[in-house]
Amino acid sequence: MKGNLVTFLRKDFRLCVSGKFFLLALGSLILYSSYINLVYVKLDQEIFPVYRYDPGKVQGECAAGVTDVGSLEELEAACEDGYSVGLHITGDPGSGRKPEIMMVSCGVESLDHIREAYARALLFPEDREDGPKRDSRDALGQAGIIGTNTREMKSRREITAEFLFFELAAVGFLGLASMLFKEKQMGVIRVHAVIPVSRVLFILSKLVLILLSDLLFAALLTVINLGMKEGLRVLPGVLMQAGILSLVMALIGFLCAVVLPDFKQFSLIYLVLAVFITTPVFLVVQTGVEMDWMRFHPMYHLFTAMKNAYFQISSAQGIYYGVCAAAVVLLFMAAQWGLDREMKKEG
Amino acid sequence: MIEVKNLTFSYGKDRQALHGLDFTVEDGEIFGFLGPNGSGKSTTQKILTGILTGYGGRVSLFGQDMGAAHTQELLEKIGVLFEFPYLYTNLSAVDNLRYFASFYPRERVRDVMELLDKLEFKKDYLKKPVSSYSKGMRQRVSMARALLNSPRLLFLDEPISGLDPSGAVLFRRIIEEERRNGTTVFLTTHNMMDADLLCDRVAFISNGNIAALDTPQNLKKQNCMDSKEPTLEEVFIQYTGRGLEE
Repeated sequence: MKGNLVTFLRKDFRLCVSGKFFLLALGSLILYSSYINLVYVKLDQEIFPVYRYDPGKVQGECAAGVTDVGSLEELEAACEDGYSVGLHITGDPGSGRKPEIMMVSCGVESLDHIREAYARALLFPEDREDGPKRDSRDALGQAGIIGTNTREMKSRREITAEFLFFELAAVGFLGLASMLFKEKQMGVIRVHAVIPVSRVLFILSKLVLILLSDLLFAALLTVINLGMKEGLRVLPGVLMQAGILSLVMALIGFLCAVVLPDFKQFSLIYLVLAVFITTPVFLVVQTGVEMDWMRFHPMYHLFTAMKNAYFQISSAQGIYYGVCAAAVVLLFMAAQWGLDREMKKEG
Repeated sequence: MIEVKNLTFSYGKDRQALHGLDFTVEDGEIFGFLGPNGSGKSTTQKILTGILTGYGGRVSLFGQDMGAAHTQELLEKIGVLFEFPYLYTNLSAVDNLRYFASFYPRERVRDVMELLDKLEFKKDYLKKPVSSYSKGMRQRVSMARALLNSPRLLFLDEPISGLDPSGAVLFRRIIEEERRNGTTVFLTTHNMMDADLLCDRVAFISNGNIAALDTPQNLKKQNCMDSKEPTLEEVFIQYTGRGLEE
């Protein structure tokens, strides 16, 4: 039995290589990591450009993120875009700072308030000792920091969790299905019906290969984008969630590939799965959209567990793991049924 | 070797495929199973190879009831050549055969290179992927796969299709050789000439029933028309009222 599993693994590995599955995974790894490191962490650093006109030199040195201008006209011109914020510092050095906010409304009142708050926050950073004493509960005051994450590390954890979820849910699912469609097309699945092989091992070898590949992908993506120290810290939890998601998606991919007659129908199912099943989960978790039924959505729980693993929050309960195990067993049985059905088909 | 009694099978309420087949295949015999598409040939072969279950009647192989026999043990003793050469096209002939060979007990497995040599496989293609082979070459690899485990019972479905005349002669010779070595052959074909040349006995199957079963010579003699011996195909049409290509 052990020998047969190795034979299956070797054959499936070669199928994956010829199908360029590993190349695709490597491409995804490079693409995601490049995007995270070269683009994503650099976004969101300067939300709105802030300009300051301080003719009386009331404030002294310019705060980080604020650009000084030489005249009021220049300040007005800089703030005409409905995006930038101008700060006109008036008064004399003894009277304290009295900034006048200058900006063109962007058309959304709430966003205008955010722009104003952001500009004030830059002008009065918490660590400046010469700033006016403000109540920390002031609506325009700075939020307290929860946890030890810097903004960059928080962004890295979030985006890495999202990319890993997407890769395992979509690309891994496609990988196994395309491997099986190839075997179906070659007709070799029917040959396995007349040779003394274990059908369980036939499925198991594909699962093991996809699982190992996904775990390696998860480990590399995590370490590359969170750094060695943070990456290794979150890795056990991440690998556990990646393993669950990988098994579930691989089995769904297997089932779809053996049951559906051709790749066209599979593509349609894939689209439905991606658009109508995964999109609401991303919407709810990433934005303020609320959907009451989301707690009944299995992908929602898988995604939140994955995200929590990246933030080292152990939210997953015993019942979650119980349901996951039951789902894997049921999907495995369904895959066996599908394989049996495919083997009985006409030549 | 094979004993089939009152075999029935249905693919659903309205699709009765077999209506009570009765036949036996003796040890070392080449038995031809002839019929047009949709007559029940494939269904019968799938039941005999353990792929289809849920049939009615009784089927025994190697003196053991199919229902009671351990399928894995049974599969170790049979070889199957499908109508189409189903192979891993990304692997070479040698890799395909080594892969399939790994599932059989070592003592049963024949030497892959010897088998390919016997099937006159072009040596310069041995390590090239199957995707680069012609249909005839693929058919040779498929035949090698069917013979890999030194089967005691060989199921051949249209073995000669896709072969050039010299390939067809070679395959007929190999089938004869296998029989001489004690292998029983269950041959499913449309090709009446192959059946006439190779088979000890043939069964005509039509609409899930056996219309006739005898040696090709007897069937032809019994159906002589105007003192001229008919071809096996003409006899088939007399019994079933249908041509084989229907």
